[in-house]
Amino acid sequence: MATLSRADNSLLGRWWWTVDRWTLGAVGVLIGFGYIMMLAASPAVAERIGQSRDIFILKQVFFLALAGGVVVGVSLLSPSGIRRLALAGCLIALAMTMLTLVHGVEIKGARRWIALPGLSLQPSEFLKPCFAVTAAWLISEGRRTPRLPGTLIAVVVYVLIALLLKSQPDIGMLAVVTAVFFVQLYLAGMNLFLVAVALAGGGAAAFAAYVLFPHVHSRVERFLHPASGDTYQVTTALEAFGNGGLLGRGPGEGRVKDVLPDAHADFVFAVAGEEFGMLVCVMILGVFAFVVVRGLMRLLEEQDLFVVLACGGLITGFGLQAFVNMASTLQLIPTKGMTLPFISYGGSSALAVALGIGMLLALTRRRHHGDVP
Amino acid sequence: MREPPDDPRTGPDDGEPTPPPPSDMPPPRAPAFRRGAARDDAVPRIETVRLTAPDLKRRAAMAKTRRRLGFTAIGFGVLFVAVMLKLADATIIQPLQPHRPERPIAQLLDPPKTAGSVSPARRATITDRNGEILAISLPTAALYANPRELIDPADAAHKLKSVLPKLDEEEAAKRLAESGKQFVYLARQLSPREQLMINALGIPGIYFEPTERRRYPMGRAAAQVLGGVDVDGHGVAGVERFFDQRLHDDPTPLRLSIDVRVQAVVRDELSQAMDEFRAIGACGIVMDVRTGEVLAMVSLPDYDANMVGSASPDERFNRAVTGMYEPGSTFKLQTAAMALDGGIAHIWDEFDASRPIRIGRFTITDFEGKHRWLYLPEVLAYSSNLGAAHIAQAVGAERQRAWLRGMGMFNRIGIELPEVGLPIVQPASNWKEVTTLTVGFGHGIAVSPLHVVRGTAVLANGGIMLQPTILAKSLQGGGHLDAMPANPTQPLPPPPGERILQQSTSDTIRKLMRLVVTDGYGKTAEIPGYYVGGKTGTAEKVGAHGYRKHTNVAAFMSVFPMNQPRYAVYMMLDEPHANASTHGYATAGWVAAPAAGRVIARIGPMLGLLPDIADADAIKQALYIPLQPGRPPGAPRTPPVAAATPEARPAATGQRAQRPGQPIPANGPMTPVLRPAPRDQRHQAQAEPPAAPPTAAVLVPALATR
Repeated sequence: MATLSRADNSLLGRWWWTVDRWTLGAVGVLIGFGYIMMLAASPAVAERIGQSRDIFILKQVFFLALAGGVVVGVSLLSPSGIRRLALAGCLIALAMTMLTLVHGVEIKGARRWIALPGLSLQPSEFLKPCFAVTAAWLISEGRRTPRLPGTLIAVVVYVLIALLLKSQPDIGMLAVVTAVFFVQLYLAGMNLFLVAVALAGGGAAAFAAYVLFPHVHSRVERFLHPASGDTYQVTTALEAFGNGGLLGRGPGEGRVKDVLPDAHADFVFAVAGEEFGMLVCVMILGVFAFVVVRGLMRLLEEQDLFVVLACGGLITGFGLQAFVNMASTLQLIPTKGMTLPFISYGGSSALAVALGIGMLLALTRRRHHGDVP
Repeated sequence: MREPPDDPRTGPDDGEPTPPPPSDMPPPRAPAFRRGAARDDAVPRIETVRLTAPDLKRRAAMAKTRRRLGFTAIGFGVLFVAVMLKLADATIIQPLQPHRPERPIAQLLDPPKTAGSVSPARRATITDRNGEILAISLPTAALYANPRELIDPADAAHKLKSVLPKLDEEEAAKRLAESGKQFVYLARQLSPREQLMINALGIPGIYFEPTERRRYPMGRAAAQVLGGVDVDGHGVAGVERFFDQRLHDDPTPLRLSIDVRVQAVVRDELSQAMDEFRAIGACGIVMDVRTGEVLAMVSLPDYDANMVGSASPDERFNRAVTGMYEPGSTFKLQTAAMALDGGIAHIWDEFDASRPIRIGRFTITDFEGKHRWLYLPEVLAYSSNLGAAHIAQAVGAERQRAWLRGMGMFNRIGIELPEVGLPIVQPASNWKEVTTLTVGFGHGIAVSPLHVVRGTAVLANGGIMLQPTILAKSLQGGGHLDAMPANPTQPLPPPPGERILQQSTSDTIRKLMRLVVTDGYGKTAEIPGYYVGGKTGTAEKVGAHGYRKHTNVAAFMSVFPMNQPRYAVYMMLDEPHANASTHGYATAGWVAAPAAGRVIARIGPMLGLLPDIADADAIKQALYIPLQPGRPPGAPRTPPVAAATPEARPAATGQRAQRPGQPIPANGPMTPVLRPAPRDQRHQAQAEPPAAPPTAAVLVPALATR
């Protein structure tokens, strides 16, 4: 990259000198970890489910490459391009999420996926970044343009999405989308009374979910009273961490991948903990924290409300997703199936996360006078 | 150029100047925003800034947003720090040890434990008196299949055949194909290696059943005593059968009185003697005369107890307790004892051995040719049938029967073996005078060798009745010897138990037994320092047509050391044949007594008895009894029974004259004898056809009584 001159005025040249290269590098590191963890975890899983041992690796190599391309490609866009992309993506993802209720593939009791050749697409994954940007635009545009009830529209769209996700059901995704939207409203200056009301509402909704959805109830119960039920997965995961210790058992020496059904996806962090130890896990955690905190701190310098809200939402989504994954693997919170961005196996997830990060990078590119055209 | 230094950004704490902005001011950045204008032409924005109310409001909102961004970042920081703390906790602070690797092992260990508690405990081990293992159950496995779970019976049979070469593949495949069954035995008693290899085949529907296998590490040692077990582990003979329930219920080892070292010596000597004299069988017993414990019980031919199933009936036949033999001259000790104990005869009494006794249809003769009156010690030393018959006659049928009954000669021996046989004894109604006479020298009655051993041991131990046992009583041999007399010439204190004869009678019998070895026909058993005493006995066997010539049973009944009796040693050969070394004789003194001597020489040190040479003279003196004792003053010369035998007529002298020139050792088998009259079944316990009708009116006791 050193070949790019500062005088290079081409698209790529301007991109290189304006993009947040630290975050870009962090994303590259995460993708690298993703490759390594895929090599470690997925052959065992593939063999256990009777697939060719390399099937997951080959797929993920392709998807991660694609994800890298998406990150760069999207980050080349201008803020207005991002806005249009997000609007279009939001509409398409909404439509496809609705489609899942009709034509979805039912896996483990939920209709979240649409079968495409080569992968199962989970439209709500894409809905998350697109809605974050769209909501940010609606809110900021509502501020800018009198008589445009932007915030209200955003709330309406959110309610629509929430209903869809509840019907799938995908409570985890709903929680993340809700949290993201809430953070955006909070950043937009929602008054503290409403914040308190929203927090109370969120708590009530969480309790309602606990009461209404049996699988949520069961997971929370098992979290609160580990002795009461089957905690096989989390116990195994914790054993993996314990087995790994500070430096890990060494690449390929882990065994949690042989016993956990989702070792390559939701429990990939445990595989990393067992084979590479606490130090590498702290490194992964540090990279995520770096991306999140740096992203948020950089927004302090941002003048444009849309960019702040959009980026705040995207970062919140990204960071929450990472946190939920790692925390539930570590039994810090009740088990929630959520992928670790870039590191877990899953094409749909990797592309969606890449889209969000690409948007983030695009929006945080340095602009002349901080203008947003 | 990236960031103009005059960028009008302001932080929330900047102390922003707030002049009231004119309400018609354009948005703050509008003046600087001139698209297409040269950068240098830009009007310095600082000069065009107008702070309007909306602008301030917007700035305030942004300030709030930034504040909240900070809070959000702090929130995320808290979340990630929490994850990191939990991560440290899970990995290095209190790592959860992986317990799954241990769990399968525990699960593997558990089922056998529970299975073991459900299935019967292992059959108890049998040891000898020193703890050497004679029989032990080893865990093994039986192979069975559930045909319903099999996928391919033929393939399974083929695979199994590769591990079990003995398996009949076709038969196995046929049985495995019987889908109606759920349980098919395929093989028993797999070795651990076979079990492992079959397990490695991974055939579904093939299972192992934990079983056990009875092993007899000593093989042939005490085979008939131990008996054996069938495939289901149930005792079929011997101790295994007698104590079947005990061995099944109580896992503590069963300690026998057998001493495998003694057992091996006896078997070795018997087997050598059997080969040397081409005997068809042999029997040897060593018994503690003070406790009744049997230290060795050998019956040849024997078998490997591990393969009891393939042993022949003859091999499984325990001659020591099942075989009923006429005891022959060894019984003369009983006759002498009963006469001495009842005061009926004295050692200085003489008995007429000059003429055969003719009684009814029978004629009793001696074969050693003293042809004179014999003192009582001479009767035993020279094994005179006539003398013994006269003594028995003096005792009388009633006292004789009472004595023998008291000695247990009429009942089963009572040792803990299921094979014990019933002695063959004339009923009282048929116990005629001739019976009294012949029983006096050990004919007309058939008892097991162990009966003879027990009877002789009682005579030697001071007169205390014994119950022979196969179970160990004392820790080491020679029980109840807490106070061993220092003086080797004194008899041992009698063991506890029921006295059935006087101590003085026992003392006399000991001297008489010793006399047989020093001066009589038992000289070949002498072992210096062990003061062996004994009595020979050679009896012709009874066949289908009466006594069979040249087929006899030669036994030597010995006890040692005679000064302080400890062990009885009985050695018997069935149908020995004479050879050059015995000068043509196959009698007990030639074939059995030497073997008994060798046994004594070998087992004495094992049992803690060392030859006592130092006290030889004193002991010899203590055990001395003259062949022709002088009559103490005042004692009657004639035995009180001499006149009480009116029926006993001297036999025709002509019969004696038929064999005038015979050598002194000449004896029964060499002597032409008449066919015997029908007698009681004096044969081995195996039922033989009744004896043939009398072929001659005169019976010569065909019994080589030496």
